[in-house]
Amino acid sequence: MLTQREILSTLEMLQNEHLDVRTVTLGVNLLDCAGHDIEKLKNRIHTRISHFAGNLVAACNHIGQKYGIPVVNKRIAVSPISAVGAAMSSSQLVDVAQVLDEVAAEVDVDFIGGFTALVEKGIARGDMALIEAIPHALANTDRVCASVNVASTKAGINMDAVLLMGKAIKQAAHLTAKDDGIACAKLCVFANIPQDIPFMAGAYLGIGEADAVINVGVSGPGVVKNAIDRALESDSDLDLGQISDVIKKTAYKVTRVGELIGREVADHLNIRFGVVDLSLAPTPNVGDSVGEIFQSLGLLSIGVPGTTAALALLNDAVKKGGAFASSRVGGLSGAFIPVSEDLNISEAARKGYIGLEKLEALTAVCSVGLDMIALPGDTTEETIAAVIADEMSIGVINNKTTAARLIPVPGKKAGDNAYFGGLLGQSTIIPVNNGDNPNSFVRRGGLIPAPIQSLTN
Amino acid sequence: MSKAILSILGQDRRGIIAAVSKVLYEQNCNIENVSQTTLQFVFAGVFIISMPGDLSPESLDQRLKAELGPLGLDVHITMLESITAPVSPPQSESYVITTKGPDRKGLVAGISEVIARFDGNITNLQAVFKGGEDPGDNIMIYEVDVPPRTDQQALYRELKKRAAELKLDINIQHRNIFEAIHRI
Repeated sequence: MLTQREILSTLEMLQNEHLDVRTVTLGVNLLDCAGHDIEKLKNRIHTRISHFAGNLVAACNHIGQKYGIPVVNKRIAVSPISAVGAAMSSSQLVDVAQVLDEVAAEVDVDFIGGFTALVEKGIARGDMALIEAIPHALANTDRVCASVNVASTKAGINMDAVLLMGKAIKQAAHLTAKDDGIACAKLCVFANIPQDIPFMAGAYLGIGEADAVINVGVSGPGVVKNAIDRALESDSDLDLGQISDVIKKTAYKVTRVGELIGREVADHLNIRFGVVDLSLAPTPNVGDSVGEIFQSLGLLSIGVPGTTAALALLNDAVKKGGAFASSRVGGLSGAFIPVSEDLNISEAARKGYIGLEKLEALTAVCSVGLDMIALPGDTTEETIAAVIADEMSIGVINNKTTAARLIPVPGKKAGDNAYFGGLLGQSTIIPVNNGDNPNSFVRRGGLIPAPIQSLTN
Repeated sequence: MSKAILSILGQDRRGIIAAVSKVLYEQNCNIENVSQTTLQFVFAGVFIISMPGDLSPESLDQRLKAELGPLGLDVHITMLESITAPVSPPQSESYVITTKGPDRKGLVAGISEVIARFDGNITNLQAVFKGGEDPGDNIMIYEVDVPPRTDQQALYRELKKRAAELKLDINIQHRNIFEAIHRI
């Protein structure tokens, strides 16, 4: 018999604390679609994705209704298109992106990820074509997301690729200038990219994965915040170790929800279940914010001294709770700090409590990186590449995933407001130190070597 | 050896279970199942017991009333032979239906009628009505077994329609979600 408390607390999480399954992401392996004939390639991709994803949305809606938990987004992640379309030119890969967009619309998913290249150690012909295709591919489509892994702890940082990504970001922004450079919101540059991320824009199906797999992303910053608030209300003397326990228990509950839904959707579609990724992923709604958690922990705002320690505590507790709840935890699993997507962080940026330097510091302990940060439109491609290089180095040296999703907003300057809409939110444009001056460091290119794995002090 | 159901009802106080079990022990009865609850200030307990062949229900009833009457408790005994157990429990899916809304007459009747119409079996019902218009003060929680032959979409539809008529917020969720969240 269930207790009244168990039932009502679950309803509270769902109705007032924004607990949801943020995404069910179907991974589809496209590697055997590869070939030299562009038309055949496009047809095979279309057929393969339609075959696996035809019932995805219906299954998610059915399971969501059964458990009373909304599956907010349904998404697809495919094999790296740089490998699938290795024989194609950059303009042909833009056509491939359009096929991905069309099939995504047909099966009614929100986003399709996997317009991806893995170039941490070197850039193959197909990788170069894909990187060159990214700006037009993203500007010409609505649902396609791109990611490029330019660094890893084992390989180091490919600075040639970093500079190319600086250029690609600037061009993507330019092509979508009337929408504040929104194409850049669909582009992530990674170090140590996981193969099974269900969240966009970084989702792709890793080379080591099966033909099809269901990965689930659960969120719930509001649930964590309310759990902390309730705990402090009943005992205002809780220390940080005790608060960590509260977060762990909450993360456990949220992860269990994700695994239950994910396994059932996978069973329904007769596709193997992959991982559940518990990431505190905010939305621009009140009560669904990671930034608000810092205030519950006693900080004036995210960004003030103490924030890095608080985020370290939060991220670690989320991972520990998730790892206890499921043996299939993967993806990014931790806390996101996307500026424009989080009302509270966006407000902290507007008030000057947080800037690019503090955000970079935070990425040493958060689960991803510099995320959804609007920069002045005149920030040079070199400076963007340099910001990316800084961010990659944090991931490479600390053996963790880091990423950069930067938006140089055309025609706007620091302090202006950039509007992206929907889940992408809006943000004050953050100044970049020396952003419009030359930076010859990143033009030297080459590979920053992989770090030594001993003497880790 | 025969079986009986013993129900005890009355104002809650300390020592009720001790008093009942003392009489049963003295009469050489064996408690097989017991469930008790307290609604506001009222104790309600149900015992399934096995009785020795030389003990009549009337005799046990007398002994219990002698012991429990002074405590203000009502006693009722029913021999179990008159109740047939199902041959085998039917396969079903377990759902939890929760409602909140302003208090009025007919809420339980309204919701349970729909559940019964769709062959749902209410296995547990917790309802608290403090009265008034505050939805949080008036809550019903039904645990319901729904057979596979039931059209679940139609059941959802009818429950939501009835809830709207009664001005109730209703949630219908498979039981597993609560197990997943709260049980290790």
